[in-house]
Amino acid sequence: MLKINQLSASVEDKTILKGLNLEVKPGEVHAIMGPNGAGKSTLGYVLSGRDGYEVEGGSAELDGSDLLELEPEERARKGLFLAFQYPVEIPGVSNMEFMKAAVDAALEARGEEALSSAEFLKRAKQACKQVQLPLEFLKRGVNEGFSGGEKKRNEIMQMLLLEPKLAILDESDSGLDIDALKVVADGVNSQRDGQRSFIVVTHYQRLLDYIEPDYVHVLSDGKIVKSGDASLAKELEAQGYAWLQGYEDKNGAEEPVA
Amino acid sequence: MSQWFESAIVRAEQVNDWLSPVRAEALQTLKRASWPTRKTEAWKYLSLRRLEKSEFAQQQESAQITPEIIEGLDSLDLTFVDGQLVDLPADLPAGLSIVSLQNATDSVKQWAGEIIGDIKPERHLFGLINDTLAQHGVIIDVAEGVSVERPIRISYMSSEGSEAHTRVLVRVASNASVTVIEQAQNKHNSLHTSVAEYAIHEQAELTHYGLMMGGGAAMHVAGMHFRLAQQATLNSHLVGFGSELNRLDVDVQHRGEQADANINAVYLLRDAEVFDLHSTIEHEVPHCTTDENVRGIVADRSKAVFNGRIHIHRDAQKTLAELNNKNLLLSREAQINTKPELEIYADDVKCAHGATVAEIDKKALYYLQSRGISREQALVMLNFGFINALVDEMPHSALAEWLRPILRNRFASMDVQ
Repeated sequence: MLKINQLSASVEDKTILKGLNLEVKPGEVHAIMGPNGAGKSTLGYVLSGRDGYEVEGGSAELDGSDLLELEPEERARKGLFLAFQYPVEIPGVSNMEFMKAAVDAALEARGEEALSSAEFLKRAKQACKQVQLPLEFLKRGVNEGFSGGEKKRNEIMQMLLLEPKLAILDESDSGLDIDALKVVADGVNSQRDGQRSFIVVTHYQRLLDYIEPDYVHVLSDGKIVKSGDASLAKELEAQGYAWLQGYEDKNGAEEPVA
Repeated sequence: MSQWFESAIVRAEQVNDWLSPVRAEALQTLKRASWPTRKTEAWKYLSLRRLEKSEFAQQQESAQITPEIIEGLDSLDLTFVDGQLVDLPADLPAGLSIVSLQNATDSVKQWAGEIIGDIKPERHLFGLINDTLAQHGVIIDVAEGVSVERPIRISYMSSEGSEAHTRVLVRVASNASVTVIEQAQNKHNSLHTSVAEYAIHEQAELTHYGLMMGGGAAMHVAGMHFRLAQQATLNSHLVGFGSELNRLDVDVQHRGEQADANINAVYLLRDAEVFDLHSTIEHEVPHCTTDENVRGIVADRSKAVFNGRIHIHRDAQKTLAELNNKNLLLSREAQINTKPELEIYADDVKCAHGATVAEIDKKALYYLQSRGISREQALVMLNFGFINALVDEMPHSALAEWLRPILRNRFASMDVQ
C-alpha cells in the first residue's frame, strides 16, 4: 500500500528526514516511536503535502501512485488521512459544512454517489456519538473553542466519516486522559478491517496498549533505526531512547504511564 | 466645482412644504459648504468625480420595479422606487403607525418636525442635500410598550438615469421594540441619497439592518443615524457591496445612561466596487456600551474604506467600547483604507480598538485541503467563514438564510491570488 524509499525532506533549509524507508501493507498497523525532534511529525506533513516541507530526495507511493507529485487534496482523495497533532480552529466554517465537503470529495474520488444531506447527517451523528462528542459540535465552527481532547476526537470522527485507506495518527494520544485515549483507540480499532492500514506516531507506549501494532519502528535523526514487533515498544518504554544512539533524553520519554 | 451640486442648490430653492424651516437652515449651511475633493478628510478615498458631471431626470414615471422576495421573511413592506413611495402596508398592528412624509397629520408634524434633521449630525454634506431635497419619505412610530413582531422592510430601488432623495424617521417609544430593514437594491446608473433617523427611547430596542446591496453604476450615499436614550438597545447589522459608489455614514449618540449599541458590518467587494463606511459613536453620558465589529473582504480592483470613530466625552465615565476591523485582501490590486479612531476624554473607561489586514490563513487552507477539499473550494469556505461568523449573529434567520447564498456566490466568483 505505502512504499517510502530513501525519503529526505527539509523544513526551512534544515534537513529533517534523512533517507527514511518504510513499507506498509494493507491491513497493517505500524507504530512509529522516537524522541522529540526525530522527524515524526515531519513524516506526516511531507506525506500529506504541507507547504514549506521540501522533498530533497527519495519517493513515496500510495498504491502505486507517486504521492509527492500531488496536491494535498489529491493525496487525501487517494485515501490518505492525517490526524493532526494540533488541529486548526476555523471559526465561521461549521464542522458539518466542512465534513460534508470532505466526504463529498472522498466519495467522488472513489466513484461513489454523493450522500443526501439527510444520509450525511445520519452518518455524522453516528460518528459523533462514537467518539463521544456532543451533537452540537457538528454545528460549531471547525475545532472552534474545542479542548485539546475534543480536537483529537474530532480528528478521529473525520477519519470515521472519510474511511481512508491509510491513516496516519500524529500523536493523537498526546494530552489525552485515559478515557479519551480509549475513545481514540476504539475509533481506530473499529476501522481495522484487514484492508485499511494505520501509521500510529507516538512518543509513548501507552496508546499501543489499546491499538496493538504489527510493527514498531524507532525513528531517530530522520531515519528508522530499529524495527521490531510490539515488544519493541515495551522495551523502549522501559529503557527510553537514549540507549539507541546515545541520545540524551532531555524530553521526559521515560515518564511512567499515567 | 460640481455642476451637479450647483444644480442641486438651485433645485433646493424651489422646494416648499411643512419641512421648509428645516430645509432653509440646511440650505444656508450647504451654500457655505464646499464640494468634497481628495483633500476633504471624509471623502479622501472615495471619488465623486463621476457624480460631478452627472445629470439625472428629476420627474419621471415610477418604473415598475419590485423588491426582491425574501423567502420566509414575513415583513411589512415599504417600497421607494425612484424616490417615490409606491407601497405602504395596510393592516398595521396596534401601536404601529406609518405615514408618508407628505401625508403627515398635524400631530405627527409636531413631534417629527422637532427631531427630523436633528439626530443626523450636520457635518454630512449629502445629509444636508437630503434635508433640502427629500420630499418623499416615511415616518414610523412605535407606541410605548409595543413590540412589533413583523419586521418593517424599506426597499430603495432606482431605475436608469434617476435621481432620488428619500427620508425615513423612526421613533421607538419607551419599552417598545421593532425591527427595521433598510435594503438598497439600486442596480442602474442613478443617484440616491437616503437618510434615516432613529430615536430610540428609554428601554426601547431597535433591531436594524442596513443592506447596501447596489449594482454597477448605481451611486448611493446613505446616512443611518441613531439616538439612544437611557437603557435603550441598538443591534445593527450592516452589509455593503455591489456598486462603484456606495457610501454609508452611521452615527450613534448615547444620550442616556446604560444604553447599548452593537454594530456588525460586513463588506465583500469585487471588480471595481467601492464601499465606504464611516461610523461615529458619541458616548456623551456614563455607563454606556458599544461593540462594533467590521469585517471585509476585497478582491480584484475593489476598494474598501472604513473610518470608525468612537468619541468618549468627558462625562462618559464607565464606558465600555470596542471597535474591531478585520480585513482579508484577496488581490494585489485591491485596496483597504482603514482608520479606527478612539478619542477619549474620560479617565475611567474600558476601550479597545484595532484593525488588521491579512491574507488567507495558510494553516487553515492546508487543513481543509488535507481532507480532500480542493484549494478553490477551501478558499471559498474560508472567506465565507470569515464573514459568516457575523451573518450567524443576525437574529432573523430568514434574512441570514437569504443572504448566505448571495455572499457565497460572490466569493465563488472572486479571483484569489
